Amino acid sequence: MDKFIFGRYIPGDSWVHRMDPRSKMLLSFFFIFMIFFANNLLSYGLVFVVLFLAIMMARVSVGFLLKGLKPLLWLMVFTVLIQVFFGAGGEVYWSWWTLQITHDGLISAAFILLRFLAIIMMSTILTLTTKPLQIADGVESLLKPLKVIHFPVETLALMLSLALRFVPTLMDEAQKIMDAQRARGVDFGSGGIKQQVKTVVPLLIPLFMNAFNRAEDIATAMDARGYRDGKNRTKYRELIWQRRDTISSLIFVLSGIILFLIRN
Amino acid sequence: MNSKTSFLGIDNVRDVTRVSIVAALYVVLTMVLAPFSFAAVQVRLAEMFNLLAIFNKRYVIAVTLGVAISNFLMSPLGMIDVVWGSLSTLFTLVVLRFFIPYVKSFNSRLVTGVLWVTFSMFTIAAEIAFIGKTAFWATFWLNWGTIAIGEFISLVIGAILLYIMSKRIDLDKLLD
Repeated sequence: MDKFIFGRYIPGDSWVHRMDPRSKMLLSFFFIFMIFFANNLLSYGLVFVVLFLAIMMARVSVGFLLKGLKPLLWLMVFTVLIQVFFGAGGEVYWSWWTLQITHDGLISAAFILLRFLAIIMMSTILTLTTKPLQIADGVESLLKPLKVIHFPVETLALMLSLALRFVPTLMDEAQKIMDAQRARGVDFGSGGIKQQVKTVVPLLIPLFMNAFNRAEDIATAMDARGYRDGKNRTKYRELIWQRRDTISSLIFVLSGIILFLIRN
Repeated sequence: MNSKTSFLGIDNVRDVTRVSIVAALYVVLTMVLAPFSFAAVQVRLAEMFNLLAIFNKRYVIAVTLGVAISNFLMSPLGMIDVVWGSLSTLFTLVVLRFFIPYVKSFNSRLVTGVLWVTFSMFTIAAEIAFIGKTAFWATFWLNWGTIAIGEFISLVIGAILLYIMSKRIDLDKLLD
């Protein structure tokens, strides 16, 4: 259960763990932005230097980062192969019908692979070092400017944290219902597709009913306590921008500037 | 909540808690039923929740939040998927809500939902092609194909499940 409560979060107290979720989110976007502008060996090299710095400061094992690659393996293989066989330019090594392997095609295939690796690894660092609830707080804080256009930022943040709060509870419930149905002879995850769909029904109906009853109860409890949304609510968890956030941002911005100087 | 403003069908505390719980259900189903995927074709059964938007527009936000949380917890692309995936869901479902008044029967609404949401996977294919940068169209078409197949399977199963459930419980009353 614990691994579900925190997603892929790994507790720790490294530099990156202690950073403000807002700076972590902004910097991972900035990093992706940097990758999109990298276009030669030198600039990709710089991207990877920043990535390795982040890995070191987060003190996460490379094994965990590699695990993050697995779900996208097929996609990466596909995309790289397309590039290898359809990429054009430079010396032609092999060709058949519309397919060809060229010098430039191979180079850009390699760059695409690097791009995927860098994006996935940086994203994994963010998820490994940040609790979902911290992200919710960060999102709320970052979306605050949208209040100008009357976007209900507080309501959205409330829904986000309520949802996160209920994931483990409903997870437990789902497991209990599955166990209860197993005891009645339901066999989850086996048989043909028709059989499998049929087994999901006795899971979904009680899960739905219980979940909606629970939503009703919370709403009543909130009403009874006089919950009002929006302005002037104080927060239990406060986000504080620290020196480490400023330093990290400076390093990223500096790398960004260097990247613009060394790219083609 | 005592405020007069309505936000995509969310008017009071009761709506807020229902939206949150449906978002949480989306995340739970994504995790419990995760093993349903093979090679390039990924079947995320929780995607059937997209069809809940047929019942009430407030589930547009519920599914969008569910997608954002699941993608944060599970997607290797992380924040890109959180932002792009949830915006794409938001767009798809808001558009779906526009179709709904023109489609009268429950069953044809399910079919409309399945077809439109499957079609909308071009947004995700574009995301991947965009990250791949070069050979945009080849990457786009191939990914649209594989992603749409998985999505179509999840949605058809979801539609069948909702149909079966609608025979046993009053979904309109539960969800409205």
